[in-house]
Amino acid sequence: MSGTRFDDDVILGKAYDGRLVRRLAVFVAPYWRSLSLAVALLFGAAFTEIVPPLLVQQAIDGPISAGRIDGLWPIFGLYALVLLATFALRYGHNYLINSIGQSVMLDLRTHIFRHIQRMSLSFFDRNPVGRLLTRITNDVDALNEFLTQGLVLILADTVTLAGIIVVMFALNWRLALISLATLPVLAVVVAIYQRLMRATYRLVRQRLAKINAYLNEQIGGVLVTQLFRREAHSRAAFAGLSSEYVDANMRSLLIFSIFMPTVQVMAAIGTAALLWWGGQGVLAGWATLGTLTAFVLYTERAFQPIRNLAERYTILQAAMASAERIFGVLDTEEEVRDPEHPATLPQPVRGAITLENVVFGYDPAEPVLKGVSLHIPAGQAVAIVGATGAGKSSLVGLLARFYDVQQGRITLDGVDIRTLPQRELRRHIAAVPQDPVCFSGTIASNIRLHDDTIDDERVRWAAEMVNAAAFIERLPGGYAYEVRERGANLSIGQRQLLAFARALAFNPEVLLILDEATSSVDTATEALIQNALERLLKGRTSIVIAHRLSTIRHVDRIIVLHKGRVVEDGSHEALLARRGFYYRLYQLQFAEQSVTG
Amino acid sequence: MSHLRHLLPYMARYRWTLLAGLVCAVIGAAVSALGPYVLRLAVDDLGRSGIVTATLLRYSGLVIVVALADGVFKFLQRMLIAGVSYHVEYDLRAALFDRYLRLDQSFYGRNHTGDLMARATNDLSAVRQLLGPGLNGTATALLTFAAAAALMLAVNVTLALVVLLLMPLSTLIFVLVGGRMRALFTSVQDQFGNISTRAQENFSGIRTVKAYAQEEAELAVFTEDNRRYRELNLRYVLLSGALWPSMALCLGTVAALVLLVGGRLVAGGELTLGELVQFNAYLGLLTFPMIILGWMVSLYQQGAASMGRLNEVLHAHPMIVNPPAALPLPAPHGEVEYRGVGIRFDANEEPGGHRTSAEKVVAGDNPVPQPSTTRSAWMLRDISFTIPAGSSLAIVGATGAGKTTLVNLLARVRDPDEGQVLVDGIDVRRLDLADLRRAVGYVPQETFLFSVPLRENVAFGAPDASDEELERAVSISRLANDLEQFPDGIATMVGERGVTLSGGQKQRVAIARAVLSSPAILVLDDALSSVDTHTAAQILEGLREIMRNRTSIIIAQRIATVREANQIIVLHEGRIVERGTHAELLQANGRYAAMYRRELLEAELSE
Repeated sequence: MSGTRFDDDVILGKAYDGRLVRRLAVFVAPYWRSLSLAVALLFGAAFTEIVPPLLVQQAIDGPISAGRIDGLWPIFGLYALVLLATFALRYGHNYLINSIGQSVMLDLRTHIFRHIQRMSLSFFDRNPVGRLLTRITNDVDALNEFLTQGLVLILADTVTLAGIIVVMFALNWRLALISLATLPVLAVVVAIYQRLMRATYRLVRQRLAKINAYLNEQIGGVLVTQLFRREAHSRAAFAGLSSEYVDANMRSLLIFSIFMPTVQVMAAIGTAALLWWGGQGVLAGWATLGTLTAFVLYTERAFQPIRNLAERYTILQAAMASAERIFGVLDTEEEVRDPEHPATLPQPVRGAITLENVVFGYDPAEPVLKGVSLHIPAGQAVAIVGATGAGKSSLVGLLARFYDVQQGRITLDGVDIRTLPQRELRRHIAAVPQDPVCFSGTIASNIRLHDDTIDDERVRWAAEMVNAAAFIERLPGGYAYEVRERGANLSIGQRQLLAFARALAFNPEVLLILDEATSSVDTATEALIQNALERLLKGRTSIVIAHRLSTIRHVDRIIVLHKGRVVEDGSHEALLARRGFYYRLYQLQFAEQSVTG
Repeated sequence: MSHLRHLLPYMARYRWTLLAGLVCAVIGAAVSALGPYVLRLAVDDLGRSGIVTATLLRYSGLVIVVALADGVFKFLQRMLIAGVSYHVEYDLRAALFDRYLRLDQSFYGRNHTGDLMARATNDLSAVRQLLGPGLNGTATALLTFAAAAALMLAVNVTLALVVLLLMPLSTLIFVLVGGRMRALFTSVQDQFGNISTRAQENFSGIRTVKAYAQEEAELAVFTEDNRRYRELNLRYVLLSGALWPSMALCLGTVAALVLLVGGRLVAGGELTLGELVQFNAYLGLLTFPMIILGWMVSLYQQGAASMGRLNEVLHAHPMIVNPPAALPLPAPHGEVEYRGVGIRFDANEEPGGHRTSAEKVVAGDNPVPQPSTTRSAWMLRDISFTIPAGSSLAIVGATGAGKTTLVNLLARVRDPDEGQVLVDGIDVRRLDLADLRRAVGYVPQETFLFSVPLRENVAFGAPDASDEELERAVSISRLANDLEQFPDGIATMVGERGVTLSGGQKQRVAIARAVLSSPAILVLDDALSSVDTHTAAQILEGLREIMRNRTSIIIAQRIATVREANQIIVLHEGRIVERGTHAELLQANGRYAAMYRRELLEAELSE
């Protein structure tokens, strides 16, 4: 959903959480050598940056006051060295810390991705795609900021501030006291500003999110608005949201416009105080003009770390919130696990399936399947029918081990599927999902996925077998045709045929098909799909969740599920003759003909 | 950069505010340049003998007064200029939205929603940045530089030249490094987009990924993408990591040179110590403006590019507009006639056709379509039929035959490329657009619901409908049964913050919506496809009542839905190949009869 992207407002909380930071440290640990070096370089830079005002003091009180023109050269040389050193240290630090950040992000992203790949489908049922995507993108980015802009720089700022204070006291303790007097006041001003700005900024973001969500929806539904002549209404609603946003922005502007000059005035007060007392010091002889100048410069520099605090604090908060969410995902235990000592299937795999008293529910308290027992011999095609909520889709999910049974067991050729590695199981049992999925890539890559053992020949063969070849060959580039994100440039019918071709190319012994009646497919395509289905099912253990009666004619046997139990089992004719559930379902499906015909 | 020219009318509305802001900026800059001058006087006085503490106190007071005055003007300047930037942003956003509401489907066919959103968010924000921090910062920087330059030159030309010639070097570094950084950053962002797309496809296709045991392979591809991302980032960091240190180096060198050259001048007696301190203070004062100026260059480039993208939308003209001398249609009878209608494929409707950007929008208010440069194939041609007021027409044909496009001509979602569509004997292109659209009730294939309460969604075309009318519409569309499932019935919120409706429920809402707006002509475009057959039959039954005295056009895949229509037309390869009633068409034993037999056969086979 593109809509969710715009109103994903972060709720900020704690700025530091030792537990989270310790867990994050695990990901940084492999790079501790580089990190130590980066921190050392930064500390070095913090020290060299303190030097220039001292040099100014030396120059004024030394050669300049004494009138020794050539005495300035050594000071200038030293100054140049200090500048070059600062440059080298800062640049080195920046490069190092960012490359560490990039490596940590790489590790973290693949770690999260790997973890998510292992999750069972119930995890994906609970977590929308957009949310998972945010974990792997924005949240990881926030942690990178934390590493490169947050913790290390706070440390450096503290060192700089401490260094300045030490130098000030060493130079002249009385002037130091005067200079530092304004710092606590500044800290208070910054704290107040932070608090106000945070609240206002959140308001600004919320209101912008509202505008964007509204705009997104209006663009999507613009034709409806036009056809129902609601343009004026939309315009007014949009203007309302938009002016709320301006209000919030003006508020943040006001706060900012007051804050910036306030800091300037605070600095001026510091300078004035220095001038007043320091001037008297110069007259009384306990201070020099050089020291006074150095102090003016130092006071300016001491302001910077304090002003930075505001920004760094927000970075910390965002990082803690992100870390919390990332660990939330990483802490989710795998529900479907591979056994420690996996069993093996007897070769060759035949594809006989048995369900023994299977109980399952997405919420264990509310079982969807309440004790299902079935035996499907190898090579038999079975259709499962039943009303919505009868448990048909759950059955398929269990057979592919997207979920695990809560009671009972499912066996493939007599082996409990939970004792098999999932990879092995799914090589033999393939599920064609309800909503045919396509990936960006080519037509060919959509059929073979990442399996290189499926060559072009086999891809073509599979496409031909399921009647997909005809439309593929008409596409520009044929099998090399670029499929857009989620198959946007293919019709639903075409996507379904591709999904069938994929299933055939992988050639599993057992095939599970969720057959959704796709109403937007025309009769001709529908006939192609039905024909393809028939070829897929031939000579293969297959379980079809049938929504269309036309699908049922390809199967050997029909199983009727009702409220989580098998209520009828037999051939189409036998079940019709029983005049039970199947008969009624059948009647219902044909109501169209009976009502209108 | 002529794109920014189009911004002037928006700014002109606030010219007096902007002027006042500029005046504040001039005064502010002059005042702030006075600060170092006060310092110089103080330091020079301290060097002399016989100074009293009262003088010191006066200087201290002056420093604070200058800072206060500077603060007040900076405050006013920021509030005025940046304030205008928010108002201009508001005006631009409103203009953009207004344009989005006016533009027709040919525009939306060419432009992705994501791209249109980006224009209303990123581009708008870039333009505002240019006006707010951009204009504000440039004014402050240039004026402060000018004021400081004047005062410095007055004191000592040599030293002033050292500062004035070397300081802009830092701006130059910023512009050069920054430009190269942006280019690299684009490739970093693109790769990030790849990673994000890859993850999204994996997560939404997880059933397929798992069903074919592709997890490990997916992880390998994802890791590879991330490696590439890191490499691009490292290249970026190699440059970006140098930006601030080199600025600091440049500015620091200027400071060191001022100390060397100025110190020698002081030692030689050509300059006073106070004047040297004044120069030093100017270095501090100018540091930020120099950086800002560098930043401005990139703000300006981005703002101009973004304004160009906004202009593409703001200057896009809808092809479907209300005609100049529109004929009103206050009480439509509902007679519909298509006369020799032909429609061409759009470039983006053809397989493999790519969407073009909005800049190719053809300007023109003329409702008569202009021949396009690339003449594409006909989708439909020679389509003629008449539907007398109050009767019904059904259209059948394969997917992609152009059925939806054909009915879209009626309410002028698009206009035909040849021939005419007439309602009550008048070409729809001559009718008042609002009247025409009021006359046509449309139930589309894919229903769009807004994130507002269900009631508002149903009453979308008739906001003033009474409760009884609403109830009737809800009952005809069989939406009434669904309402019981929703927490607040018809007041239930729809969408992300409310309930998600199934495909069938959405279609029922759309039917209720069309029924409630009580149109003279009702169009059902495959409107029952997601409704189960039993409910569909019930809805049809209810609609028959409504359609009795209305003109209706029905598109459907199933014969059962269309057989009752007064006329049926069959579309094949862009033309009408058969027309008649159900019985007549069966007798003709053509395509329609074949479709019917296939449906019957399907039913028989399952028995």
